Amino acid sequence: MALIEMESIKKDYLLGETVVPALQGIDLQIDKGEFVAIWGPSGSGKTTLLNLIGAIDEPSEGSLSIAGREVRLLSDNRRSELRNETIGFIFQGFNLIPVLSALENVMLPLQIKGASSGESKTKALTRLEELGLSEFVHHRPFKMSGGQQQRVAIARALVTDPSLVIADEPTANLDSETARRIIALMRQLNEKERTTFIFSTHDQRLLDQVKRLVRLEDGRIVDGGGKQ
Amino acid sequence: MMKWMKLAIRNILRNKRRSLVTLLAIGVGFAAISLFYGYVDFMYYGLRESAVRGEGLGHLTIYKAGWLEKGKLDPERYMFSKMEIDKIIKLVQEEDEVILATPQIQITGIVTNGTVSTIFIAQGVVPREDKTIKSAWGAFRPIKGEGLEEKKPYGVEMAQDLAKYLNLKAGKDGVVMAPTLSGQMNAMDIQVSGVYDSGSDATNDKYMRFSFDFAQSLLDTRSAERIVVLLKGWKKTEEMRTILQKKLTQAGIACEIKTWNELSLFYSKVRGMFDMIFMFIFSIVLVIVVMSTVNTMGMAVLERTREIGTLRALGLKRRGISLLFAMEGGLLGLFGSLIGVVLHATVWAIIRAVSPTYTPPGVSTPVPLIVNFVPQTLFVLVLCLILLSLLAAIIPARRAARQNVVNALGHV
Repeated sequence: MALIEMESIKKDYLLGETVVPALQGIDLQIDKGEFVAIWGPSGSGKTTLLNLIGAIDEPSEGSLSIAGREVRLLSDNRRSELRNETIGFIFQGFNLIPVLSALENVMLPLQIKGASSGESKTKALTRLEELGLSEFVHHRPFKMSGGQQQRVAIARALVTDPSLVIADEPTANLDSETARRIIALMRQLNEKERTTFIFSTHDQRLLDQVKRLVRLEDGRIVDGGGKQ
Repeated sequence: MMKWMKLAIRNILRNKRRSLVTLLAIGVGFAAISLFYGYVDFMYYGLRESAVRGEGLGHLTIYKAGWLEKGKLDPERYMFSKMEIDKIIKLVQEEDEVILATPQIQITGIVTNGTVSTIFIAQGVVPREDKTIKSAWGAFRPIKGEGLEEKKPYGVEMAQDLAKYLNLKAGKDGVVMAPTLSGQMNAMDIQVSGVYDSGSDATNDKYMRFSFDFAQSLLDTRSAERIVVLLKGWKKTEEMRTILQKKLTQAGIACEIKTWNELSLFYSKVRGMFDMIFMFIFSIVLVIVVMSTVNTMGMAVLERTREIGTLRALGLKRRGISLLFAMEGGLLGLFGSLIGVVLHATVWAIIRAVSPTYTPPGVSTPVPLIVNFVPQTLFVLVLCLILLSLLAAIIPARRAARQNVVNALGHV
C-alpha cells in the first residue's frame, strides 16, 4: 500500500466571488522511503499540494489517503494526531518558536504527543547531535544562523520518527553552501532511516539529487505522477 | 502541564511593556477593590460597634409581642412587668453565649434649665450594665464629667449640643418633664453628671441618658419597654435569636426579638450604600481587567498567528491552543493580583503609619481612617481575578484555536 494516495484531487480557492482552481485533478501515489521533489513555476499549486499531503488542508474534491487513512473522514483532532505521529514539517521560514531553545523546539512534537519530559529530552538531544547541533541546544533561534535554524527544524520534523517529512522550499532562505549541506543531510536521512521526503523547490541543486520529480503546471501534474 | 506553563510564562514576558501595562492595570484594580473592601470592613465593624455599644442596642432586643406595632398607643399594656422582667433575664442569662440581659426604657419629654426649654429623647438604662455594654466604646467617646451611677439616681448624661443649648455642664441642675404612662405630666429634678458626644449631629442636641430607676419614676411605672441582650460575639446573633425566641415562648412569654442590625436603621442604610459603591468599583475594575486581558491576548493572537499555525501543523489540537492562551490569561491574572497584593500591603502600611482622620457627613467628630487587612478576602480576590482573566482570555483563545492552519502559516 502506498504511503500517499491521491485520486482526482481538486482544490479551489475563493478570491472574493471568483473561484480560483489551485489543483485540477491530481492523481499521485508515493511509497514509503521515496525522496520526491514537487517542482514547477510559481502558482502551479506546489504548496497547495504539500498542504493537502500534510493534512493541514482539505481537498475540494477527490480522495486523499495518508498511511491508509482517508483524510476527509478524519475529525480535526484525529488529523492533528495524524500530523503529530506520521508527518514532520520543514518550513521555508523555519517556523521555530522564538521563546524556546533549540532543544525545547525539538522536544515540542513529542510533548504534544504526551511523551514524558525525560524521554522527549533524550530523543531531542539525539536528533540535535545527529544534525551537528550539540553546541547549540540551549540557544534561542534568534542566536542561530539560518542554516542552524533549518537544521533545528529538520531535527524537530524527525524527532517523532515520522513516516513522512514534508518540506516547503526548505533551501529558499539559505545560502548555496548551507543549502547544499541541508540537501545532503535530508538525502542521508532518507537513505538511512527510510523516511519519505516530499518537498517543493525551485532549487536546481536540489532537483539534481532527487530520484523522483513531480512537475506541476497550472494545478496539473505534467510529469512524474505515475508510480515509480 | 508544567511545560505549557513555562511556555505561557515566556510568552507573557515576550512583550514586556504590554504585559507590564496589563499587569499594572490588574494590580491597581486589585488594590482598589481590596483597599476599599478593607475600609468598608472596618466601617462595618465601626457601625456595628456603634449600634451595639454606642447606641446601646446590644445584640438582641426583646419586646413584648405587639410593642413595635401598638406600644406607643398603649405603652402600659405592651411593656414587661417587673415579674416578667425578672423571669426573662433569668431565662436569657442561662445561655452560655449571653453576657447580660438588662431592662431599658425610652422617654421623650421636655428638659429645662429654668429659663430655656427644649425636647429630649432619653434612654433609661441600668448604669452598671450599661457600662458593660459600652465597654471599650466608652474610651472612644469619653464623657466629660461622670457617667451614670446607681448611687446618684438623679444624675443624668446629656448630649453635648443639648447641654450647650441649655448652658448646662457637669454638676449643673435642671428639670425634666414627661407624661407618665397614665398620661399625666410629671416633672423631676436632674443633675447633669456628664456631657457626652452621641457621635451624630442629628442626635447631639436631643439625647440624654437616665438611670433605669429614674426613668421608671418619671414614667411612674415598674415596667420596662424592652430587654437588651449582650452576646459574647455578634456572629451568633441570629442563632441566639432563634434559641431565645423558642425558649421564651415555651416559658409562656409572648415576645418578639429584634437584632441590632434590624433596629439600627443607620447601619442598614450605610451598609446598603457601601455595598452599592463596592459593587460599582468592582464592576469598573472588572471591566478594566477584562478589557486589558482581552486586548493583550487579542494582540498576542494576532502577532503569533504564524506560531499558532506551526503548533497546529506539529499536531497540537485546537483545545491545546485554547488552553495555552487561556493559561496565559490566567497567569496575567495571577501575576497582576500578586502586584495588587503588594500594592495593598504598601498602602495599608502607609495608612497605619500615618493614621489619617476625617469627618464623615453628619458625624460630630473626626474618625480615624482605618483599612482592615483581611487575608481571606485577598485570597478570594486573587482567585476571582485569575478566573476573570482566564475567562477574558477565552475569547481570543478560541479565535486562535479556530484559525485555519494554512492561513495561519501564511500569516506575515
